[in-house]
Amino acid sequence: MDVMWSGGESNVRDVAEKLDRPLAYTTVMTTLDRLFKKGMLERRKSERAFLYSPRLSRPDWERQRAGELVAGFLAGPRKSGELLISCLLEEAGRDAALLDELERKIKIKRQELNRRKS
Amino acid sequence: MTPSYLGRLVLLSSASFFLVQIIVGALIALIAPTAVRRAGTMRPQRAARFLLRLRLLPAAFSLIVVAVLCVPSYLRFEPRVAEEEVGLACLAFALFGTLLCAASISRTLRALLRSSLYVRQCAGRESFVGGERVWIVKQSAGLALAGILNPRLLISEAAMRELSSDQLAISLRHERAHRASRDNLKRLLMLLAPSIFPGLRLLERAWTKSSEWAADDHATAGDENHAAALAAALVSIARLQAGIRMPPLVMSLVDADEDLSQRVDRLLDAAPVRESKFPAGRIALLGLTALILSVSINPSSLRVVHSLLERLLD
Repeated sequence: MDVMWSGGESNVRDVAEKLDRPLAYTTVMTTLDRLFKKGMLERRKSERAFLYSPRLSRPDWERQRAGELVAGFLAGPRKSGELLISCLLEEAGRDAALLDELERKIKIKRQELNRRKS
Repeated sequence: MTPSYLGRLVLLSSASFFLVQIIVGALIALIAPTAVRRAGTMRPQRAARFLLRLRLLPAAFSLIVVAVLCVPSYLRFEPRVAEEEVGLACLAFALFGTLLCAASISRTLRALLRSSLYVRQCAGRESFVGGERVWIVKQSAGLALAGILNPRLLISEAAMRELSSDQLAISLRHERAHRASRDNLKRLLMLLAPSIFPGLRLLERAWTKSSEWAADDHATAGDENHAAALAAALVSIARLQAGIRMPPLVMSLVDADEDLSQRVDRLLDAAPVRESKFPAGRIALLGLTALILSVSINPSSLRVVHSLLERLLD
């Protein structure tokens, strides 16, 4: 996909030439065909060969992938959805809601301690 | 002593270090999840000690085996005039051993550099809070302990404004507990000890949690009011530090990766931990030391070690 995003519309031979390591023509052809069947590439016939191009730009593809990942988690058992949300919250820093909740617990504890004192 | 004799000694030492490190490291990594669960039943201070020993065991054991068994047996039994070829396997193990050490040293140096840069960036004014010498810094930090041999207590101006006097006092007591138990030095040792198996990193994370809890316990000393004040300080600092990740050798009051709600819940509803008094870890450590010592002073066992080294060399 990196080659397709950087090179734009290409045939099998173009892609094979731009790869870091040499791969057989048929291997590249099969891979491009699979990417087309998965909906990641578009293709059109030009003379006797297919010309492939990416269906989505890299940012769009990454956004779609992230969306699918999140949707997959949320569709799963409740626990995995909660896990994902808690991870996102952790990553985004201390979520204000969590800190508010902790503050509320501390306040209750303080009230309880004050009641016991008096 | 010819250069080739010394060269073989260096290669053998590095190869032996790598092999022992891999074997012991794999064993420790294998038992790490069980060890972490067991540490959960101990008092935090004891758990931190137990986890640290386990984490450092592969590196310490490898160094001891090399220093107490491999080097003496080689010096004693290897003829100084012998010209032996070094086998490919020995060369490969020695190379891996060297790479492993180089990776750990570079990781440690990077951590030291990042931490000292951070402290320099935070340069603030020296002050005294509750009789404690601290550095009041303009940005970042919140409240942290930075440095290895002579750690500094850093407090951000924002933290000074946000925390009440009892919260500040209890937070400083928490950081002093880290300083007293030399936790930054322990972190440095863990960085120096190679960490090739994920289980060893699991031990590191569990140690971090236990050391924080141990410092919490020291600061609150079982007083519920102190515990509530520390919990409130944690939440305030977490708000100030949102998204800020500290360098590895700076111990912040609130770590970016920790489960803050678990820590606060523990402070608010601390249940006494009932733990076994049987010092199993200490007995195991003493047994291991006795075994290594008895093997190292026995000439016949050194001969066995030498024959093993000969095989490795071939």
